[in-house]
Amino acid sequence: MSAESLLVRKIDWGTVLDHIPAWRADQVVRLLNLESLKRDADVSVIVLYNVPSRKLGRKDIVKLYHYMVSEEEAKILALVFPQITINYIRDWKVEKHSPGLPTEIVGKIRCPETTCITNVEREPATPRYIVMREHGVIACEYCDTLLEIERIPDFLRE
Amino acid sequence: MVGLVLRSPAGGGREGDTPLALKNTIRGRDIISCRDLSRGDAELIFSLTEEVVSGAARLENTLAERKIALIFVEPSTRTFQSFYVAARSLGAEVLSIHDPEVSSIAKGETLYDTMKMIEGYGADCIVLRHPARGAARFAAEVASVPVINAGSGSQEHPTQALLDVFTIKSKLGSVDGIRVGMLGDLRFSRTIPSLCYLLSNYSNVKTYFMAPPLLQVRREIELYLSERGVEYRKVVEVDEIREVMPELDVLYVTRIQKERFPDPTEYEKVKGSYVVDARLLSYGRRELGVMHPLPRVDELSPEVDKLPNAWYFEQARNGLPLRKALLYLILGEAG
Repeated sequence: MSAESLLVRKIDWGTVLDHIPAWRADQVVRLLNLESLKRDADVSVIVLYNVPSRKLGRKDIVKLYHYMVSEEEAKILALVFPQITINYIRDWKVEKHSPGLPTEIVGKIRCPETTCITNVEREPATPRYIVMREHGVIACEYCDTLLEIERIPDFLRE
Repeated sequence: MVGLVLRSPAGGGREGDTPLALKNTIRGRDIISCRDLSRGDAELIFSLTEEVVSGAARLENTLAERKIALIFVEPSTRTFQSFYVAARSLGAEVLSIHDPEVSSIAKGETLYDTMKMIEGYGADCIVLRHPARGAARFAAEVASVPVINAGSGSQEHPTQALLDVFTIKSKLGSVDGIRVGMLGDLRFSRTIPSLCYLLSNYSNVKTYFMAPPLLQVRREIELYLSERGVEYRKVVEVDEIREVMPELDVLYVTRIQKERFPDPTEYEKVKGSYVVDARLLSYGRRELGVMHPLPRVDELSPEVDKLPNAWYFEQARNGLPLRKALLYLILGEAG
């Protein structure tokens, strides 16, 4: 019996995001914009911090009860947290999901360049990035500014 | 292949035989980044510019039915004036915002709304200068008519690069194989990225980035050049500048802006090292051409003006025929 199961019971329907680096679960919550679900009575979010892990030493887990992470969201999670495990749960059955990597990211990340048009107040320009995985960066499609993939969590939009 | 036909009510134009028997790949297009321009696109623009300069192509009144909007949200002298004179000499009606302080932009109007409004007034083409990086690309998404980037913050200034490379070509005969030193503020200059991108279309061009570490080129430019196999070298030490001078065909100088330095003493330390004067040019080849997008402050000594190396006034002059050719290619009936 794992430490996790001692802490939180299994879910019958939803998504379990496992092997999140320790103390990074908040970034996952922000990346998925889970706060937008607060009016959704069916959804529960269970966050476990700093759980012992054979693979990582310590890890975070996010359980999303009655919420299925979209393919687009799964791809971004896989890009930012390469070690993450995404499990879809349907009727207690666990289905491990291995998403591909995104080629483009729309709307989730603010541009690190303060003078970018996407950072101009009231301007309806949605940030859009091309993923350049081979160079470890994403590039703003408007202003060309590069952002290292590992820095993406620092630039998540509120 | 569609022949490019130059219409001229004055009778001075000629039909599209060589060199203008080229497909007009520019018609109806946005000009946002030099990365979007192929060598063929650039050569087409240069061919017509040459004809405008020589008088072989007279484009007067060829855009008589057109409206061109000049939206300049940042100060400009040369770019605004040359676009204005070019548009008027082509016979186009000009709608302009040159002083944002007296327009609704000062009241906080968004670029989105400005684009929608200008388009609603019937503009056939919008020339935009804006302080925000990415503004021109955003404007091009908003507007259904072609948008020309006349400077998007520190990002790009494609029509400046076009006139720069046109100048190099007309002075040297060819752009392939040239060695270009770029000196000054390479990090915040909008002309440098555009020039690098456009030059990357030519073979065997080598670029020397001559600037202190704080003002060196941005990473996206290095990445782009590397991906396209373009050779470049960073020259950081002042002593190195003299060393590479003999290798250069062109020395492209940009202004170092004091306000870019977090510590004023850092500026004081480097400013003298990046002044181009007759003494520095004495380390270079006799034929070395000195270019500058202007305006200049202290970085380019007036004593260079008298030397045959000074190309910058001719460079600035080329802005008018080039922008005339460009507007004609985008909006005219050619091709």
